[in-house]
Amino acid sequence: MILSKLDAAKYPFTSLAAKIVEKLETELGVDSILSPNSEVLRRSIERIREAIYSGVTSIYMKDLDVEVLSHPLSLFLVKAVNNPKLLNVYAEAEKNRVFVNIINEDVNKIALLANDGFNWHVKVEKERIFLRFDEYLKVSVNMMDSYWKLVNRKLEEGYVEVTKRDLCRLIAEAYRGKIIEVVMRSKENIHGGLNAVIEELSKEVKAILPPTKIQESVALNEYNPSALPPCILKLMSEADEGKNLPHMARFTLATFLISIGKRPEEVIDIFRRLPDFDENKTLYHLRHIAGEIGSRTKYMPPSCATLRTFNLCPSSDEICLKIRHPLSYYNYKLRLLRKK
Amino acid sequence: MRSFQESEDFVKRLFKSYYLKWRGDPPREYHKREYAFMLSRKGEMIRHISFENWNEMKEFLVKNVPLHVFYSSAYYLQPSAPEMEAKDWIGADLVFDIDVDHLYTSCKEDHDNWMCLDCNFNGKGVAPEECPSCSSKKIESKAWFCEKCIDVAKEEVIKLVEDFLIKDFGFSPSEIEIVFSGRRGFHVHVESDIVRELDQRARREIVDYVKGTGLVLREKKKKLLIPPLNAQGWPGRIARGVYEIINSRSTHDVAKLLCLKKGKGITEIEGQLKKILSKLEGAEGYWMLEGEACKVWLKIAEKAVLNMRCEVDERVTTDIKRLIRLPETLHGNTGLIVSKIKMKDLETFDPYVHAVAFRKDEVKVKIVSMPKIKFLGQEWGPYRDTIVEVPLGLAVYLICSGNAIISDEERRHHAKGDI
Ligand code: SF4
Ligand SMILES: [Zn+2]
Ligand SMILES: [Zn+2]
Repeated sequence: MILSKLDAAKYPFTSLAAKIVEKLETELGVDSILSPNSEVLRRSIERIREAIYSGVTSIYMKDLDVEVLSHPLSLFLVKAVNNPKLLNVYAEAEKNRVFVNIINEDVNKIALLANDGFNWHVKVEKERIFLRFDEYLKVSVNMMDSYWKLVNRKLEEGYVEVTKRDLCRLIAEAYRGKIIEVVMRSKENIHGGLNAVIEELSKEVKAILPPTKIQESVALNEYNPSALPPCILKLMSEADEGKNLPHMARFTLATFLISIGKRPEEVIDIFRRLPDFDENKTLYHLRHIAGEIGSRTKYMPPSCATLRTFNLCPSSDEICLKIRHPLSYYNYKLRLLRKK
Repeated sequence: MRSFQESEDFVKRLFKSYYLKWRGDPPREYHKREYAFMLSRKGEMIRHISFENWNEMKEFLVKNVPLHVFYSSAYYLQPSAPEMEAKDWIGADLVFDIDVDHLYTSCKEDHDNWMCLDCNFNGKGVAPEECPSCSSKKIESKAWFCEKCIDVAKEEVIKLVEDFLIKDFGFSPSEIEIVFSGRRGFHVHVESDIVRELDQRARREIVDYVKGTGLVLREKKKKLLIPPLNAQGWPGRIARGVYEIINSRSTHDVAKLLCLKKGKGITEIEGQLKKILSKLEGAEGYWMLEGEACKVWLKIAEKAVLNMRCEVDERVTTDIKRLIRLPETLHGNTGLIVSKIKMKDLETFDPYVHAVAFRKDEVKVKIVSMPKIKFLGQEWGPYRDTIVEVPLGLAVYLICSGNAIISDEERRHHAKGDI
């Protein structure tokens, strides 16, 4: 079975897609791809917009070369916009796109795509489909339903039996994970000519994707340092050492501490040692987060899944395995400590 | 307390003689592992040690004579970095721990006991969380293991290795190593590239699988499909488990198992059990069960899961940076060898024979207390506050576990340097 250019457009995780990208990049040259009237640039922005407006991206059939090339450029733009929410929304939209396409493919082709894109071992025997258990686990742990728990699957000689639909969902989910990983890892510098585009995109994203509102009111007004989860402890000690924490780390620390009842004036001390500390600015941000000024929305700290995505989860203890949100960790541990 | 110190010195001298002849194999990729040692009973653990050359390990053992030796199940780029963060984790073996401590055995009532350190209240069997008399949590327990205990643990190991790791997970026997923990259980190590990079959450899924945790016996709003007896994985396990329960008990006992009131609907259940049994025997594929019998099936299946699951300590398996005992070293609380065991030898493995390091000589010890134990093929005890001449291996065992000290007579002997 041979993959076509259309496949490369539909499934950006294939080796063929990567090959086409490489070839076109040398043929066309980066300058032309990034020039203001470049089709690829136009399509990349469109792709991101599709994601934030409709939650799923489309396939630009008019010019498959453009479509294939727009994938890496979109990721590049997502990185440059540097909005954690956008990254999640974009990855989710791309995952949806892959799922709706791949579900219509023949089983053997799906197996081929899984192997080519993710190095998975898929066995197709008559009517049954199997995936090696370690590969299954790496993705299924992100799925919360008991349907995906290994104990509820047929496991034979190291292979998990899956339905065609299961396999498609696993591939789409693996693709989502890959996007997040690629964006997080990439260290490419922003091309000077793109500044205006990125700024405009940033504004649009901010307007469309408002920050998460507080969902559950957390009635925790007890500050007990021994109940803090490992991620927060680690960030606190890093702040204390004066490390230059990335935005997401600061946001996590601030929202967490404020959620468990600390006042902005108290939280500010933690940030004092950061190299770029500015008292007024920081206090303003903290009060904003606390909902005291500005939009009056209280911000929630990110979930464990998000923290994991941003490499901020040292996930080192027992309780971490039981919970999905650092606040639940805190709640749980508080109760434990009270019992003692 | 002088005699305690002297007893410890006595043990240390013996440990040293053991390590002088030591020829333990290195674990796979040993230079990527962290090693840790405890040199004395109360001392701190020395951690973050690594070895470039396996001979250095032997030199270390002879020079320092540790009471406990550990290595990391994890592989690191910088195994000796003092901070866990800086070690650069690259992977870890999959480790299971099966311990008599976590298994129910009826003989514990016979050989285990405990005492409250605050009010001296005491009892037999497994120690309670807190003292029933004064609620203190300072409880000292004396746990022993007998042939029965070790047989129960072995059965779990066989179930784990043959049923779960080989049949379901598809590991090859050469990737699996069974090790006697040196005290009351076994460690099973899986060294395979497939598991190496799995994170805690994936390992938690593996533990849940082995323990049957989170198993859904009937999906909501779906018909109850019964697997054939020869189905692989959990479906077959459940079918066989149910079959075993129905087949090996009287209807009356099954009814009791299902917590049904005496005599209530027993004939009805009898009919359902017969139907289930004959269907199970005849079926080649999945079949559908309907009506009232579903309830009976589900209840028995719940019990079947408890029989078929494997009792492993989940903390050990999910910890990807765990320190575990290095095979072929001595366990400082027993003086027994942390021994590797081949699957074919497991059946006949007797720790009080095969894991005994000091086989020659007898020595007089003052025994505080011990239950009856079969050691090196011979029965000893029970003893209480007596001086007895016992085999050297048993003496070391009793001293290390805090149940005996070297007798005065023997001490004089030693002062003269006769051993
Ligand atoms: S699992 Fe959650 S609570 Fe635990 S360290 Fe990671 S992010 Fe924090
Ligand atoms: Zn007491
Ligand atoms: Zn016993």
